[in-house]
Amino acid sequence: MDGSMEFTMGLSKGIAWPWPIAVYLFLAGISGGALVVALALRFIKCQTANTPLYKAAALISFVTISLGMLCLVLDLTNPMFFWRILVFYNLTSVMSLGVIALCAYIPLTAVLCLYAFEDDIKAIKGLSILLPLISMLKPIRRPLELLTLILAMSVCAYTGFLISALIRFPLINTAVLPALFIASGISAGAAASKMVSVLVFKEDLHSSELKLLHGAEWPIMITEILFIVMIAMSLATGNEGAQSAFSAFTSGVWANLFWVGVVGVGFLGPILLNFATGRTFSHSAKAFYLSGVCVISGMMCLRLFILYAGQTYGI
Amino acid sequence: MSENIERRRFLKGVGAASLIWGPMGCTSVEDDSSNTNKPHYVMVFDQNKCTGCGECKLACNTANNLPEGKSKCLMEHQSGGVEGKACPHCGKDKCNCERKFVRVSCQQCKNAPCVSVCPTGAAHRDPKTGIVTMDKSKCAGCKYCIGACPYNARFINEDTNVADNCDFCLSSKLSKGELPACVQLCKYDALVFGDINDPNSYVNKLLAVKDSVRMKPQFGTEPSLRYIPVVKLGV
Repeated sequence: MDGSMEFTMGLSKGIAWPWPIAVYLFLAGISGGALVVALALRFIKCQTANTPLYKAAALISFVTISLGMLCLVLDLTNPMFFWRILVFYNLTSVMSLGVIALCAYIPLTAVLCLYAFEDDIKAIKGLSILLPLISMLKPIRRPLELLTLILAMSVCAYTGFLISALIRFPLINTAVLPALFIASGISAGAAASKMVSVLVFKEDLHSSELKLLHGAEWPIMITEILFIVMIAMSLATGNEGAQSAFSAFTSGVWANLFWVGVVGVGFLGPILLNFATGRTFSHSAKAFYLSGVCVISGMMCLRLFILYAGQTYGI
Repeated sequence: MSENIERRRFLKGVGAASLIWGPMGCTSVEDDSSNTNKPHYVMVFDQNKCTGCGECKLACNTANNLPEGKSKCLMEHQSGGVEGKACPHCGKDKCNCERKFVRVSCQQCKNAPCVSVCPTGAAHRDPKTGIVTMDKSKCAGCKYCIGACPYNARFINEDTNVADNCDFCLSSKLSKGELPACVQLCKYDALVFGDINDPNSYVNKLLAVKDSVRMKPQFGTEPSLRYIPVVKLGV
């Protein structure tokens, strides 16, 4: 007899987690993704110098994760309560585990910035207080970078685990979400690092590092598409609740955001810019920046879509 | 002062320790479900008796000092005409549908998602009664519990800025030995409250003879609210 009765009303109107959380998921993804790319390259290529890409990634990861924290705090019902999350812990809560990871990750992104900008810090008189700290941290640079790489992955994945714990929403409550967030984080983080390295740190547009990244961009994008197709198919072929949540892809404002923002701008944009245009244009700086902006915008749309469409179709 | 322990002495020690610890390890710890000494509070909502008068909401609002018009339980009107309103079931202004209401409130799950996702332990189970309740001083207002509750039965209290749920009036009534406010004020006996682990309690006897259902069992949260639905007899 269980299930012969239902109620549809609830005590909370609207959705629990609005757009600042989507922006946080976006920023945390970029932060983690940028570092995963830069540190993986550093280890694979056994680099010892601070490359423009490394500098860009360190700077981006620190700035984005800090802004992300701001989004999180401002979304609390009372931002002055934020200290409670730092004082009280509950290890069954994904959010609490994420806080522990972030407590280690955020200082590490700052440390990576110290490593990356050592020469610049030396040149500025006012920052000389940082020099003893840098020389103290220098001997453990490699283990710290390895730890940061693991934590960067964890932060990307944790944002997926965090929301997939919301069991009432079929689109969100999927095992694929952490993997999707890692993949899209890496692609957007790589795009952001590439652009900043060329724009600010004067990396050559056709350097060997960027060539490698241009090549890696497509398999990552294919993986991302694969994960999204997995989620869509599992809903389309799932039970009643899953099927009703599938309309997120087919109707309403969130479907438009998905097809225009995620698919059109995020996937088709870079593909067309790189493969449908002439060789001169697709290798130009204009195409490079446009394609990067497309990838990053697409990822923001993906986070918004998952969060809003996900919380719209509950069971 | 350190010494080298001989092999023989070490083995003796290990033997003695295993004799002591072994049986202790084998002693079984009674699990919660069979432990009748611990209370398991349940609430029964009898749909046959509820008229949808809304007194429970008013009682809740007063007992828990909630903001104007807010309460921790709602009545969902599912069918039957109310003066001047269309029937939610058939859409007509005048119909023969039976009036049906359903109580919407925290289901007091045994396996509560709000408790497991709460990052600070603010949403917790009261150790004495086992009732899911809030520690207002720990809640950071992250709203994770509100999204995680499959019943959408939690809300942010505008007065305190922290999350809230129906906890059977744990602090306002139960601690004084009274029944929850809504149960006290229900004129039609549509709400029954008690300890299902107590073989002599009224709820225990009621649920032994009445068919009751739980909401959304597919979520596996094992809710403690039982609903006795209106059942049509005959064909």
